[in-house]
Order: sequence, then C-alpha cells, then structure tokens
Amino acid sequence: MAKKVTYRLIILAILLIGMNFIYKKWFYEADLQKHSDIINLVRAIPDDADIIYLGESSNITYKELEDVDKRPISAFIGDFFPTLHTYDITKPASHAGIYKVLLNQLPETNKKKTIVVTLNLRSFNAQWIYSDLETVLQKSVVLLQPYPVLYNRFMLSFKGYDIKTEEERTQQFKRKWKKDVFHFPYAFPFKNVPEWESWVNSNGVKNKEGVFDQAAIELACHYIKAYGFQIDFDNNVRIKDFDDIVALAQKRNWNLVFNLLAENTEKAGELVGKDLLFLMQENTKKLVEYYTKKGVTVVNNLDIVANDQFIDQDWTTEHYAEKGRKTIARNVAKSLKKWYNNEYIDVNDAYKTTFFNDFERLNPWNQMHTLTDQQAYSGTHSSKTGNGEDFSVSFEYPINLIPDSLRKTVTIDAWMYQENSNHNAQFNVEVYGVDEKFINSYPIKSQLNKITAWQQFHLTIPLPKTIKNPNFIKLYLYNTSETTIYLDNFSVKFE
Amino acid sequence: MLFNSIDFILFLPIVVVLYFAIPHKFRWILLLAASYYFYMCWKVEYVLLIVLSTVIDFYMGILMDKLPTQKARTPLLIVSLIFNLGTLFLFKYYNFASENINLLVDKIGMNHHLPVLNLLLPVGISFYTFQTLSYTIDVYFGRQKAERHLGYFALYVSFFPQLVAGPIERFSRLTPQLKEFHQLKYENLSKGFRLILYGLFIKMVIADNLASYVDLIYDSPTSYSSWDVLKGVFMYSFQIYNDFYGYSLVAIGSAKIMGIDLMDNFRTPYLAKNIMEFWQRWHISLSTWFRDYLYFPLGGNRVTKSKWMMNIAIVFIVSGFWHGANWTFIIWGALYGVIYLIEKNTNDLLKLKTNHTDFSFGHILLAIKTFVFVTFIWVFFRSQSVHEAFVIFNSIFNFHAVGQLSLEIPALVWILLALFILSDILLYNKRFDTLLDNIPFAGRWLIYSFLLFSIIVFSSVEIFPFIYFQF
Repeated sequence: MAKKVTYRLIILAILLIGMNFIYKKWFYEADLQKHSDIINLVRAIPDDADIIYLGESSNITYKELEDVDKRPISAFIGDFFPTLHTYDITKPASHAGIYKVLLNQLPETNKKKTIVVTLNLRSFNAQWIYSDLETVLQKSVVLLQPYPVLYNRFMLSFKGYDIKTEEERTQQFKRKWKKDVFHFPYAFPFKNVPEWESWVNSNGVKNKEGVFDQAAIELACHYIKAYGFQIDFDNNVRIKDFDDIVALAQKRNWNLVFNLLAENTEKAGELVGKDLLFLMQENTKKLVEYYTKKGVTVVNNLDIVANDQFIDQDWTTEHYAEKGRKTIARNVAKSLKKWYNNEYIDVNDAYKTTFFNDFERLNPWNQMHTLTDQQAYSGTHSSKTGNGEDFSVSFEYPINLIPDSLRKTVTIDAWMYQENSNHNAQFNVEVYGVDEKFINSYPIKSQLNKITAWQQFHLTIPLPKTIKNPNFIKLYLYNTSETTIYLDNFSVKFE
Repeated sequence: MLFNSIDFILFLPIVVVLYFAIPHKFRWILLLAASYYFYMCWKVEYVLLIVLSTVIDFYMGILMDKLPTQKARTPLLIVSLIFNLGTLFLFKYYNFASENINLLVDKIGMNHHLPVLNLLLPVGISFYTFQTLSYTIDVYFGRQKAERHLGYFALYVSFFPQLVAGPIERFSRLTPQLKEFHQLKYENLSKGFRLILYGLFIKMVIADNLASYVDLIYDSPTSYSSWDVLKGVFMYSFQIYNDFYGYSLVAIGSAKIMGIDLMDNFRTPYLAKNIMEFWQRWHISLSTWFRDYLYFPLGGNRVTKSKWMMNIAIVFIVSGFWHGANWTFIIWGALYGVIYLIEKNTNDLLKLKTNHTDFSFGHILLAIKTFVFVTFIWVFFRSQSVHEAFVIFNSIFNFHAVGQLSLEIPALVWILLALFILSDILLYNKRFDTLLDNIPFAGRWLIYSFLLFSIIVFSSVEIFPFIYFQF
C-alpha cells in the first residue's frame, strides 16, 4: 500500500504544479482584479518613482468646505521636491501588516527609492489590531502573499487567513484590555483600560463651564480605549509588521521613513489628563528609539497638529484639515532633505507649476467618480463624460500659491477619445478671485479629427490680468452631449 | 470547525494518522478527545451540554436495562426525554414559544409577558439530541442492550464527522464499528478521499457560488423582475441540496478513511418521481428517524385511513418544526404532508404505478413535477418569515414588475451547475465513490484533477456556513 500511496502522491504533486501553471496563466489576473484589486495601487507606481508614500485615510481625508487645497499629505510632500516623482499608495484603514504585503509587490528596479510609511500610534492598540475591518483587509491580500499562486488561491478558498466574526474580535480586544496591566513609573489608581474607563464613566468629565458633559465622557472613554496601552515590543503584531518592512527595505536598499502621525494630544489632555498623555508620549518615544536604532528615519509628529486641525472632533482619528496635512508634510519633507537636499525647495518660496494626473491613483481631484476602466490612454483608467455626466475629473488649485510672474499662461495637455463627433464639448477654464471671476470655454472638436481613437488635445491660454487676486483655478472637460468622450493623462503647466 | 476550512484540512489527517498509529484500546479516547475538540472550536461551554446529555442517557440506559418491563422503565425514559427535549426546547424553541404566547397575551389584553432569552443555539443540538434519544428509546423498547462503556457511549453521541449535522446514526449501527479494530486500508482511503473531494466540490463550488445570488434575491425580492426571482428560488433548491449533500459526503468520507461506514443521507432526491420518494432520498437519516420513532409509535399505516392521514400530517409538521423555531418551517413541513397525501390518494385512486427503475420519459416528467413542488416549498424554508415567503411568491407571479436590479449570473456558474445536474443523473441510485470504481485510472485522475482544480480556483471566497448547522 505504501508504494501505491507514494505513487499517487507523486502524481498529485505533478498535477498541482500543472494546475499552478494553468491558474497563473488563465485565471490569476481575473482573481486579482476581483479579490485583491489593491494590487492596482502598486501597479500604478511607475518604475521611475523616487518617493513612495504609504498611507491610510489620514493621507486623503480633507475638510470639504474649508480646505482650499484638498490634496493629500503625499502631494504636499511632493511640492517640496518638484523635480522628483512622488507617488502614494493609499488604502483606508490599512496598517503595517497591509503595507508590508504591498511593498513586497513593488517590482525591483535600479532606481533608489525612498519609502515613507505611515506609522499610526493607534494601530498598535488592541482595538485596531482586532478590528472587525481586519477580516476584509486580510482577505484582500491573501492572493498577494509570496507563495505559489495556486497555494494563495487555496488559502482564499479555504478561508486560510485571519477570519473572525465581529463578536469574536470584540471579545479579543476586550480580553486584551483586561489582560494588559499598566506600568506607570508613579502610582496610578487603575490596573487596566476597563478599570480606567469605568472610573471615567462613573465619575464623569466636566466641560469648561464645570458641568458634567455626557458627550465628553463618551469621548474621554474613546481616548482611553484608543491610547491607553503600552506597546509590548516583543509580542505586538504591528511591531513585527514594521520590523518586516525594515527588513524588506534593507534587502531592497530603500531609504525608509516612518511618518509617526499626529494625534490630538490637546484633546486627550483636556478630556483625560496627563496620565494618558504620558502613555502616548512614552509609546512614541519608544517607537522612535526602537526604529531609529534599526536605521529608520522616524518623523515624530505626535503633537505638532493643533486641535482645530482635527476634522473629527467627536472621535479619535488622524484626519487633518489642510493646515494639519501641510504641517506633517513639511516635517516629512525636512527629513527627506538628507537624501534630496539639492531637490528640496522650502515650500514658502516653492511653487508647483506642473501637475499631472493619469487617473490611476487616488489623487483627489474633483469628479473622481467619472473614472472608468472602459477606455484608457495609459494604465487602466480614464475619466468618462457624456450621457448625463457633464463634467470630467477637474483640476482645482489655489493659484495664489504660484508667483504672478510664473502664471501668465496655463497650458493644458490631455488625451481624448470620442465615440463620434456629434457633440459640442468644450474645455472650460475658470479663475476665481475674491469678488470676481473669469470663465471661458474652448471647443475641443477642432483638435479631434478621429473617432474611436486617442488623440492629443493641447491648449495654451493667457490667464486674465484683470483678476487682481486670483485664488483659485478650475480646469475641466465639459460635455453635455450624448456622445461619450474619455479624458486621460491630464497635465497642467503654468508659465 | 468547518469541513471547508484549513483547520479541518489539518485536523483530519492528524486524527487519522494518530488513529492508525496508536493501539486499538486507546482509539476511542483519541476519537472522543478529537470530537470534543472539534465541537469546542465553536463554543467551548456548549460541550458541557453534550457531556451532560451523554451521562444522563448512559445511566438511564443502564438503569432501564435492569428493569424487566416497559412500564417500569417509563419514568427513566421520561427523565431522558425531559432532559434532552427540555434542553432542545430551551435553546431552540423557548423564544419562539414565548414570542407567540406574548402575542396571544397581547391580543387578549393581558399585560404579563414572558421574557426572551439571549441564548446562542448550540451547533448541531438537534442532531445529537435525536441521536442520543434514539438510543434511549431503543433501550426502553428492549431493542437495544444498554452500553456499559461510558467512553464508547460518549463517542457514539459525539463522533466528530457526523456530530453537528448528521447523518443521525443509530447506536446499533455506529457503536459496533467504533469498537471494531480497523486496519488502514487503501480502499477505504481511496473511497473516503473521493467522497471528501466530491463533497467539497459541491459545497464550495456549487452551493457557495449559488448562495450569493440566492441571498441577493431573498434580501430584496421586490428589486428584481419575476424571472430573476424565479431564478433565485430555483438556485436555492440547488444551493441547499449541494450544501447539505456536500457536508454529508465529507462526513461519510472522513469516517470511511477510518474504516467506519456512516449511512447515506442523500440518493439523488431531485430525481424522485413523487414527494414520498423524495423523502426516501432526502436527509434519509432524519426521515427514517421520524419513521421509526414517531410514525410507527403513532400507529403508522396500521390504523384507520383518517388516523393514518393524521399521522402523516403530524410527522411532516414535527419534521418541519425540528428544522427551526419559526412558522415558516411548520408551514414547510405541513405543505409536504398535504402534497404527500394528495399524491398518495391520487395514485391509489388512479392506480398509477410510479416505481420505474430506470429513466423513462414518464420518469423525467414526474421528476420535474416533484422538483418544481419541492422548489416552491423551499421558499418557506429559506424565508425569514411567512410574510417574506409571500413577498417572494408575489414577486414571482407579478409578471408586470420591472426590476430595478438585474440578477447577473456568470456563465461559469451555469456551466458548473449543468455539470452537477449531469453528474447527479449519472449518480442515480449510485454513490460517487462506487461510480468511480468502474472508470479507468486515467479517467479517475482526470476527474480528481477537475474537482481539485475547481475547489481551489472556483470556490466562492465568501463565507457561507453549512445551512444545516443552524439546526
């Protein structure tokens, strides 16, 4: 029988190798697009990228009404290095465990890269480690693991990843909170998070008028649950993830930066007090020391963003308004100077005069919902207009950042694809001042003489001198017809 | 621990290797420990219920065995019934009963309400309760000698392949096999793996891929056209069949590897010519349980026709209620009873012969008729409430409704479903493992390769637990 079984095991092994080949050749890509489309974020990074920023929602969240410049932290970093190619990989709710899988997918090139990885203090907390979002996140990277593709698909089919119900995860972090005992260097009355939270719950928090405030109590409890921990460097799973990133960076010869995000320490101090601030600062200090020793450049932003720059005032997040994002970007950019001193321009004097969007990444220009994969001049996406979708992805920029002498004209280059020529689509340029505006339209038909083919569109126009204090420019394709027109590789240059 | 999980893929080989590696006298300990571990993977605390049920029925059995008459044994049987059915009632039916009593109390204007308990239904409670009850009842009637070895009895109650969703085995069939010395045999290995492979294929590739489309329809039937709702309803017929049949095959295959034969639970039920035959082919271990422990004690067919009709109705309604504490299951069971009686009386009246052995045109027509009946009755089974079931029926027969959404089922799913239907026809009155015996080596491995590749590559990535686990 042993011979029979061995013989069959050999056949099985050969079959599995064949199956792996068949799967990789004909099915893997479709599965990737279906179950792990996160890979497209990595694929959109060109080989010549110099700086790659990995972030979560902190990178792309902005204040809808108040932010003039809604661009992400990564774009602001790019402003300091106008001659370098800065890109971002942004996946909301992700953490080092996800970043390391994505970084592993970056193709090896000869060009030396700098990787800036978001280091979120809360991501070391049990509530995030055992978050119910984790199942979906883990599932999204199963196919990207560094094993044979058939094995990865097998793990996906047999649910071979960290899969738990919401209730199980809640139990996990509650157990962890209970188990983790605080070690303060001074006498502290509470043993762990539940005790501390329970005390705040029953003793309350007073507002500025000295009145007990239920909303403040709830928020204080959130802060305790979010930051009331001391990182166990030997066992914390997130530490292991960051360690893996460090090892990968060393192997691939990358410059590695950990961008330790700002937390609302002002609010934490006001609601809970110095003990919570002590924990936040202690964890930060230890993280900075630990990774600096490993050769990583750690940018400590913990308390550099003021309370008013935190968008979510009733929750613990790292979502910043424009000034907050810019402050962090400046800090990161300064840390990059040691590698790119010649390319660095201080942002006070800096002006970004060229802009480009290939619509492949989460670059928060407006009208991003028009992105489609039906047509693309390059990559896989373009902006689709027509049939009720009148506005393409639009470029919006605080033009007052650019010196007067360098914004006399604006040049637009883009690729367009028209399904037929029955339209009167036009390219619109809008410039807004404090009390005045300039709006002009330029028909595109004269430049597009082919149908169902990509053609280049070029437009150079002088910017109005009449508007004395222009603070905003808006550029977009306007198509009210029933003809579909796609727009791709949209570049803008001020001269 | 689900059969279609990495945990089970590791667990089963470890248990099998240890089973054959250790001396026979210790094997029951290994299997019992493995079975309890298997069960505790769901919720550790609920293993206490199995242990308690085991201990009570074990001692009730021994005590009953010592008593000479049924009359003397009756109090002990009652103790066993009260404990087992009481536990089942508490966890499964109490909330249903209290909600309905509260509704009634509201109607008559009283204020007193029974509380609703927040208890999680222990996985497989209906299955192991019926299994252990069959033993106690058999001892009571003197059909079975009481087991004197607590370990083997505990293993009979909790044997992991069939613990959570059957097949519901009888003591006289399973325990002698558990006690018997089994050698590792290539034939058992081969047949066991074949059954596991086919079982996983129909569960993970067919049932789970259909499940997401069925869920779309049942979650929002009014958003789809009547044709789409009809498609969803028919898809459910295949989903539940493949889900439960797949589970049963993995259970039978897992036991087979260790040399233990579990009873077949399905024999191509959708090829049945009438409802009576359908129930001889669907969930056979439960149907025979109800036949032996409810239908026969009620008098079976050796009573007046009206009493017999009543017995049939009782059996089907109780069978429906066994599945779940909801009016939908009661209606589901009752409908089977009604159709069964109509078919039986019509056949008797017209003296129709429906016992064709092979496929004929008549057989195909009758099978389609039965399948359509069964499919529409499943609507009650799948719906969360009677109202939801009527919404589904309304959506099917509202031909003018224009769906806001469209049910797009990929070609691959249709192809796999067609392949399954074809294989089910080929398996008419046969089992997958024996069918392959007649196929040459290369052909067999071609089939294995297809099944294995499909399981890995075409399985749904969503999580759909076995439907019958909730019972």
